[in-house]
Amino acid sequence: MDLLLQQICNGLVIGSTYAVVALGFALAFSVLRVVHFAHPDIFMVGMFSGLVAANYWPGLGLIIAIAAGAAGAGALGYFAERTIIGPLRGRDILTTLIGTLGLSIVLQNGMALLVGPDPVAYPTLVPARFIDIGPVMLTLRQIVNLGLSALLLVLVSVFVRFTRTGRAARAIAERPDVAAAFGVDVARICQITIVFASTLAGVAAVSVGSLYGSASAFVGLLYGLKAFTCMLVAGNRHIEGVVAVAIGLGIIEALVTGYVSSSMKDAAAFVVLIAVLYVRPNGMFGSYAT
Amino acid sequence: MPSFGFFEPILIFTLLNVTMALGLYVTALSGQLSMATAAIAGVGGYMSGVLTVKFGVPFAVAIAAATAAGCLVGGALALLTSRMRDFILKLTTLAFGEALAVLAFNWDYTGGANSFTGLQLHTGLGTCALAVAAALFVAWRFDQSRLGLAARAVRDDPLAAAAMGISVPGIRFTTFALGAAIVGMAGAVQAHYVLVISPSDLGFFVSLNYIIFLLFGGLQTMWGPVLGAILLTVLPEALRFANEYRLIVYGVIIIAVVLWRPDGLLHRVPLGVPQRLFGIRLSPGRPARATASQSSGAPLPQLTRTAAE
Amino acid sequence: MTALLEIEDLALSYGAVPAVDGVSLAIEPGELRVILGANGAGKTTIIKAILGLKRPRRGTIRYDGEHDLAALKPHQIHALGIAWVPEGRQLWHTMTVFDNLRMGAFQSKDHAAVARRIEEMFVRFPRLRERRDQLAGSLSGGEQQMVAIARALVSGPRLLLMDEPSLGLAPIVVRDVFALAREINDMGIAILMVEQNARQALKVADAAYLLETGHIVDQGPADEIARRDSVKAVFLGGAA
Repeated sequence: MDLLLQQICNGLVIGSTYAVVALGFALAFSVLRVVHFAHPDIFMVGMFSGLVAANYWPGLGLIIAIAAGAAGAGALGYFAERTIIGPLRGRDILTTLIGTLGLSIVLQNGMALLVGPDPVAYPTLVPARFIDIGPVMLTLRQIVNLGLSALLLVLVSVFVRFTRTGRAARAIAERPDVAAAFGVDVARICQITIVFASTLAGVAAVSVGSLYGSASAFVGLLYGLKAFTCMLVAGNRHIEGVVAVAIGLGIIEALVTGYVSSSMKDAAAFVVLIAVLYVRPNGMFGSYAT
Repeated sequence: MPSFGFFEPILIFTLLNVTMALGLYVTALSGQLSMATAAIAGVGGYMSGVLTVKFGVPFAVAIAAATAAGCLVGGALALLTSRMRDFILKLTTLAFGEALAVLAFNWDYTGGANSFTGLQLHTGLGTCALAVAAALFVAWRFDQSRLGLAARAVRDDPLAAAAMGISVPGIRFTTFALGAAIVGMAGAVQAHYVLVISPSDLGFFVSLNYIIFLLFGGLQTMWGPVLGAILLTVLPEALRFANEYRLIVYGVIIIAVVLWRPDGLLHRVPLGVPQRLFGIRLSPGRPARATASQSSGAPLPQLTRTAAE
Repeated sequence: MTALLEIEDLALSYGAVPAVDGVSLAIEPGELRVILGANGAGKTTIIKAILGLKRPRRGTIRYDGEHDLAALKPHQIHALGIAWVPEGRQLWHTMTVFDNLRMGAFQSKDHAAVARRIEEMFVRFPRLRERRDQLAGSLSGGEQQMVAIARALVSGPRLLLMDEPSLGLAPIVVRDVFALAREINDMGIAILMVEQNARQALKVADAAYLLETGHIVDQGPADEIARRDSVKAVFLGGAA
């Protein structure tokens, strides 16, 4: 029973990061109709921005790293949207995938050129301490990660539901032409959406970097595909669905790791994807027509 | 067989990639752009590898078995995705490919994470040439046949195709199985050249590469994927001089081509036919129906502006 | 008096296929003009061009004598006072009736005016007030059409583009819709309507254009057009 609870908690931590990354995909896909393959790599750039800042100003620790991560990823998101992602809007889906894939290749290999292809040590932003919560043992880093992810998820929810821009984004997601014809500056909202998603990813990235103590130019590969399947499984109609699925996936993976074997956990995402899409081709919670 | 020395590897890989691209093309003709190509090739590779190394089966038989294995996997995928629409279908094939990769990673019988080794070098230029010839022949015959036409009909408008009596699931199954058979064969031939099969070869990144061949070359004709495969095999080699920057340049080129030519480099636009790619609209908005030529006949009455009332 | 909207030699294509070729039409302030045509004639394409949702290959779309709509973005065109009642309503089904109406004046800075107009809509359409917080997707066809029209009016437009307002509606509701169009027009708002239902449309229109596979084949005052053989043969046979 203790193992179960422990793994569920571990799964929550992993899942919450999947959720933040998956939301970035979901926002890009619903609002811009673009399969934003480079989103995990913007995440990665955020991770390294935080690393650089933390090394430069070691006294300011986590705060400066998060700020730098947000700024770095957000800025990159802005330029990527202006140059590549924005122009891909309206193209067929596979073209958007390939286009952003090109960007992903450039970012990954560019970073690998700068820091090398191997993982790099992440500065210690959160002390390594263990906390007992009843039968479960978590590290302080895990708790910080969980807290930050939760905060980010709340931010997204608030954005989508309660802000004017968020409403416009939802309007564009459901009916882009009608939204434009009723006064929504679609280009600007798309820009804001990508920058928003990138900034959040940047923050999450710093949190993940500090959690595992390392950063790698290819970390995007780890999160990208799985977060993407979360988006597909959930469907893009309700953004909270993506969060639920992502956390669910994290827990499933943790349970597979605990009870079966850690190397099989990677298959979990894909098995779930195939199973769900076979039964509900539009995703668990439904999608807008593509 | 004359020796091509330095160029032999490039030539062989080009031929192999062309074969893969043709296999993918056959499957894609019915609108199913499979993202599991590398995984199917891997299955073919592993199958022939296991047969020749562990059971001492002759090369030719192993190839045949690999082809059959590919065919089976393709058929299975077709059944699995029978209920799915374009986009979801593609991503399910991707997930399937990834799942196979993970399986390969964990199955110690075939070496697991340490890859499958011990293959003999059976493949030479001759074998590859044969493989390409076979693929070209099959693809060409299929393309020109009534099945090929039916496949295109299914791609462009499954509802209309069904209304005309075409069995949509049947066509999808056939194209998938046939294309996968070619890919399985190519995978086997490749395995006996590279002499190593690793689980990562089955991953989606490699599959995506094959898709990029197709998209670069365009899908309207059989030669599009061939051109795409040739260009994109030779290009990274030609970029070897820029060694570390090679991949970055590759990425930039992909971005540039996508932004500049979203239809691929080689395309034949049939007149009066709406432009669709795998059932997904190329341009936003409803494609207009093929309109009849302008109405001829009696001249129109003199039209006057109506006054405001 | 300068025409409110003046279209000259408009041509649009979908890829290689021409949809509209050499169309010229105009509408004066306060008029109700209708473009009649069968499916595939190109009616919606013209509407999309006016709204800036589709770039023309050729031709000009002049508004108020000074703005070239072909060079503007849709939200800028909306700000000029042009509103849209799309074919098939196209409401935001996941939003409430109220939110749909609010979105109708999304970029308006004058919140008081918008609130006032929304209130006017609720007064005119009491049924919408009842359904104010219901999801738009749960309404009946006729109610959705009311929301679509109200949404367009909320921004206080001078020109209303109505695309097949009778489509998919029961005959009794169709009559109400055309009466509503007449009512809106009487308030001074110009309406450019595209329709297949020629008989009903010609009853409320001032003038009409006949569109056939992308070309205007006839035009004139509504009562004249109604008597023409071409119209009778093509439309009046099947319309409600």
